[in-house]
Amino acid sequence: MTVVTAETVAAPRKSWSRYRHPEATIRFAVMLAVLAFLGWSIAFLNIDLSRVLGAFPRLAEILATRYFPPDLGYVTDADFIRSVIRTLEMSLLGGFLGVVCSIPLAWLAARNITIGRRIAYPFGRFAIMGSRSIHETIWTILFVTVLGFGMLAGTLALTVFCIGFAGKLFADELEAIDMGPVEAMRSVGASPLQVFQYAVLPQVRVAFTGIAIYTWDVAFRAATVVGFFGGGGMGWYLKRTTQQLESQRVAAILLVIIALVLLAEIGSGWLRRKIAAMR
Amino acid sequence: MSVAAPAVSEHGFDAWVAHKRGRRINNWLLVAAALAVLGWCFWDTIMVDTDWARMGGALGIGGTLERFLWIDWSLVPHLIVPALETLMMATLGTLLGCVLSLPVAWFGAANVTPSKYFFYPVGRFLMVLSRSIHEIIWALLFVGAVGLGALPGILAVAMRSIGFISKITAEAIENIDPKPVEAIRAVGGNQFQVMYYGIVPQILPVIIGTIIFEWDINIRRSAIMGLVGAGGLGLVFFRQMAMFNYGGVTLVVLAVLVLIAIGEVVSLLPARP
Repeated sequence: MTVVTAETVAAPRKSWSRYRHPEATIRFAVMLAVLAFLGWSIAFLNIDLSRVLGAFPRLAEILATRYFPPDLGYVTDADFIRSVIRTLEMSLLGGFLGVVCSIPLAWLAARNITIGRRIAYPFGRFAIMGSRSIHETIWTILFVTVLGFGMLAGTLALTVFCIGFAGKLFADELEAIDMGPVEAMRSVGASPLQVFQYAVLPQVRVAFTGIAIYTWDVAFRAATVVGFFGGGGMGWYLKRTTQQLESQRVAAILLVIIALVLLAEIGSGWLRRKIAAMR
Repeated sequence: MSVAAPAVSEHGFDAWVAHKRGRRINNWLLVAAALAVLGWCFWDTIMVDTDWARMGGALGIGGTLERFLWIDWSLVPHLIVPALETLMMATLGTLLGCVLSLPVAWFGAANVTPSKYFFYPVGRFLMVLSRSIHEIIWALLFVGAVGLGALPGILAVAMRSIGFISKITAEAIENIDPKPVEAIRAVGGNQFQVMYYGIVPQILPVIIGTIIFEWDINIRRSAIMGLVGAGGLGLVFFRQMAMFNYGGVTLVVLAVLVLIAIGEVVSLLPARP
């Protein structure tokens, strides 16, 4: 047995390396696996790399030659403006219903204040995850199949989309609250509803308002294409002009969508900043 | 009475009550206005636009829903390749999005941008543009440009990812600790060394988290690319829908859920200590 002296214990390592054994090995193995998967994907999907690089010049060329003079007369048509207003209506209604439905679901899905860990918690989580996992266009197609074409299907699809989107943010917000008031309310024998109303809601009201506005912003973005699959609103015009290859009209509609989404983003950002300042 | 009122009440209880009352009236007005707008939306959307008779009542809706419930399990072997395609589309799209968002983040980060008056607004505009166009529209544009197949889906997913990845990256670059950068400059490091040893190690954890988050979202995005002509699960969904094989449609939706679950599990791995 060697004598353990201060020198042998505190002896610094002779050579310093950024690459230490277990972490670096695992990291390189993961990187290698990802690279191998990428290579396999490129081979499997038969992707011609020269076409990838050529895609952007080609897109620019197509935009310049076929789409270029946007047919602005088409988008100032009264019917089109009516469809824009309907898109706005759908996003408002879908966002409102989604937020209203997602607050109780988020309550169930927040681990710290849920009313029952066995049944309510998995139910809330699954409802939110399920709404989130399926893309809004698939929801639109499903609702159109069941309920027929029109704004009802689009509104419901947006509602489900908003439940998934806002529900997750709400649940995250609820899980980060201060548990002191909750425990105080519980210890004096308040019911779960009373706990939610007096201990939880005052803490998250401002954050929830901000999230609700952000949800509307995202819902509006989704609402512009809901009509593409029969959900009503301006997306239907997009589908019709795309399929009839009226590229200049498509260009005009795209410009309108970009402008509206920009406006919605600026508006919602301004509102959210105002509400955050009220805190 | 107003003459005799003490000056104190200007900041006292009465003023507070009046202020509160004013705010409460304001709040009620806001709520009433919001309810009016929502009511009008509801009336116009649900009452006017919907053809209730054609829906066939509860029986008709129930009948359609029932057809969705008979899941067509015979389709399972035909779903494996499309599911793999979807996963690959999402992965390659995310990678391409990362590569494309590097210059955008560089332009759009206020402290490292090459020119505050030209490149900074360009970078910011590209971020907004990428996010404001829906992935379906990007896919339509790219199907027109490069034809059918997985490639337009990859490009569409990549374009849609640029906005989020580059925005978070730019914010991370703006919030770095300038001391390591100055230290490397002080000992004579060149521009590349400053970037590689001073900036990248600071923003790498944020970027990796963002990329994995975006990859998770891109799985659901690439699952619908087939609807407009790019391959994957969306194409199967479209075909089953066109054949009115609603049991198959349900199965495709379940397959998407399985893919998302796989994505969740994989994206949780790096977070493990």
